[in-house]
Amino acid sequence: MAEAHIVQQGATPAAAGWEPRIIAFLCYWCSYTGADAAGTARLKYPPNVDIIRVMCSGRIDPELITTAFAHGADGVMVCGCHIGDCHYISGNHKTMARMPLLKRTLVDLGIEPDRFVHEWVSAAEGEKFARLVREVTERVRRLGPLGWPQRMRERGVGCGMSLEPWGA
Amino acid sequence: MVETPGSCSGSGNEHENGARIGVFICHCGGNISDVVDVKRVADEIGKLRGVVLSTTQMFLCSDPGQGLIEQKIKELGLNRVIVAACSPTLHQLTFRRTVARAGLNQFLFEHVNVREQVSWVTEDAEAATQKATRLIRAAVDRVKHLIPLDKRRISIHPAALVIGGGIAGLVAARDLAQRGMKVTLVEKQPFLGGRVAQLHTLFPTGEDARDALKRVIEEVVSHELVNVITNAQILDSEGVVGDFRTRIRIEPRGANSQLRQRASAVAACPEQTINEFDYGLSQRKAIYMAYPGCYPPIPAIDWNVCTKCGKCLWAVGGRGINLAEQPREMVLHSGIIVLATGFDPYEPLYGEYGYGIFPRVITLQQLIRLLDPLGPTGGRLPRNDGEPTRIAFIHCVGARQIEGVNQRQPDGKVKDYCARTCCTGALHAALEIRRRHPEVMITDFYQDIRTYGRGHETYYEQASEAGILFVRYDPRHPPRVEGNPKGDSPLLVRTSDLLTGGLDVEMPADLVVLATGVVPHDISELVGMYHCAVGSDSFLLEVHPKLRPVELAVAGVFLAGSCQGPMDVTEACAAASAAASKSAALIAQAQVEMDPFIAKVDEELCTGCQTCLTVCPYDAITRDETRGIAVVSEARCTGCGTCAATCPSNAIQQFGFNDAQVLAEVKALLQGAALG
Repeated sequence: MAEAHIVQQGATPAAAGWEPRIIAFLCYWCSYTGADAAGTARLKYPPNVDIIRVMCSGRIDPELITTAFAHGADGVMVCGCHIGDCHYISGNHKTMARMPLLKRTLVDLGIEPDRFVHEWVSAAEGEKFARLVREVTERVRRLGPLGWPQRMRERGVGCGMSLEPWGA
Repeated sequence: MVETPGSCSGSGNEHENGARIGVFICHCGGNISDVVDVKRVADEIGKLRGVVLSTTQMFLCSDPGQGLIEQKIKELGLNRVIVAACSPTLHQLTFRRTVARAGLNQFLFEHVNVREQVSWVTEDAEAATQKATRLIRAAVDRVKHLIPLDKRRISIHPAALVIGGGIAGLVAARDLAQRGMKVTLVEKQPFLGGRVAQLHTLFPTGEDARDALKRVIEEVVSHELVNVITNAQILDSEGVVGDFRTRIRIEPRGANSQLRQRASAVAACPEQTINEFDYGLSQRKAIYMAYPGCYPPIPAIDWNVCTKCGKCLWAVGGRGINLAEQPREMVLHSGIIVLATGFDPYEPLYGEYGYGIFPRVITLQQLIRLLDPLGPTGGRLPRNDGEPTRIAFIHCVGARQIEGVNQRQPDGKVKDYCARTCCTGALHAALEIRRRHPEVMITDFYQDIRTYGRGHETYYEQASEAGILFVRYDPRHPPRVEGNPKGDSPLLVRTSDLLTGGLDVEMPADLVVLATGVVPHDISELVGMYHCAVGSDSFLLEVHPKLRPVELAVAGVFLAGSCQGPMDVTEACAAASAAASKSAALIAQAQVEMDPFIAKVDEELCTGCQTCLTVCPYDAITRDETRGIAVVSEARCTGCGTCAATCPSNAIQQFGFNDAQVLAEVKALLQGAALG
């Protein structure tokens, strides 16, 4: 599907009945299993968070996150194994180094800090994951729709680059 | 040998038009369909471009369910399959096999989790149905970018290397040899046996520890397939599963099998040092035998202590001792490696429960040495005039510590895990004392008694019946050990007893025994060499605590015994046998299959900046100096994808998780989201 088409089709103003759209990037070994643990325990959380599975949080390229915001995400979560528990020894150390930098950059680009959450969730922390989803959804709901491309246009920056970091 | 999967396409668009996608949505007998309107989801998904079939089934993992998938692949010529069901951790492999049976590449399959992450966590049925639709829609866009992948196949050199000659390493070596595998067992110390040699009797059978050990050692050293190397240190290791090359350095033993008058040689030595075998309770010579009946039955020289005075040489007439022996190096070739590097008893900090201040405060390990008839005191307990009359045990020393209550260890952490063996070990020793000296009064200060193993609880029952006094302390207020200003006994243990509602207890003691915990033996060099994952407790971390308990994430490296966590002898042997059978199975396959989700460098895009080299946790990327680009070792790569996220030129892609695939997922999930 052509990108321009999505942009036009999706460009609806925030209206009543708006629901936050949140993307969560989870590492397979700890956090994804932690999210499964929340399910096994039948813990309930809001349906606003859609999970994308990667093998290691070290795979989460900051550009995946900016792309999510550029395509209309109101919030993004990144979860990985706790430091010391990484399945790949130290993949999460890279995540730990990247995410705070990214967060500062996102703030500079007009995204409120509460819209981007980076947390460690172990395979046993189903409860923590469910709580995190509830908290993040609530925080993003309070902030309202992001509409980042529009925000960037208003700043006169344009969002062409951030929309398509790898080209069409 | 490594077979390379096809080129990893960044765009993969060429598949889009040709994609014939089959989507199968599982009811899971109501687990999913009670919340998610699966029929409506199937209808919605069926409208998407490329979707040839979108259907539901009661149980897809059942034979009829899998049969349906196979049949539809063949009937409709599906070339992409999506199953929306439980978590992929449960049935991804099942469905990959189903797809493969139907003749389709198993990596042209995508598993969507609509049970653990949708129906079980969402209250509102409408919202759950929408979420399931979004997730499957994302999978539809993702699978268009999938490419067929082959599992990597690596041939295995049919030999095993076992590192560590304690009970776990010995059992692993024995089991491997009994299955017809060639094994090399290397031990750092000059003698085999490890920690079990330092025990007197074993719980729960009460059998002689050294007898049991001796039987295993005999089985190992008499086996023609086993090569035992003592006094050996691992210098470095290279290679990957199937083809490890480990360089070792063998320190000179100084004595050899020609030495006949072994006792005379030892007696002639004028140098003394602390005997670590007795945990510092005795002294030994520079030329020594670790314990009676040790293997090899040849003395070894401790070069840190030996002055090369030559007195031992004189005493034996010059035969069998070589003070000028040089260290040797050799390279061991093996297909797999078993780590059996064991544990160290926790060494209490100075002043912890009076340890180091009062000589009568000893550890459980020291007590066991004292109880050993072949130990430093011939089995007698210390007292000024005869045997002690009052003994206090304190449990959980260096175990189950609480942040803020217990002093931090040099690594900045507290030992917060249960060491598992000390409760039964302490009660075992206490009962032994009671049996030998019925008049001794024994008090046991504990927070919880964890005699968890089969036959262990008997010790607690027997201890209670034998009149051993149990005092339960609050872990937030652990007992204090002080000097006793009055009375016969030199020590005083104070605490408040939770069993009597917090009554203050003041117990004089002649001997205080600290039931100390267990810490992993320091193997930081091996951890770096083999890229071992380490848990927050510093023990080695298995791939999965339940499903793959003796494997490291690094293919071909297995865990045996207490390098993985506190274990008793039973558990260490069980773990060793498990590691042996897992590694024997791997060797028997002759080839190993590995997931193909590895990284691949696009040679056109790579600028040779080497950023990826700095982030790879497995040293799997090297720089090809002639071409000036990065190269990924396909056997070494474990597929974390960290390099793919790091490459500033997007020259590295990870198979199965390339940018096009993940971005397609992101965009599809956000279809219809407001952009402003």
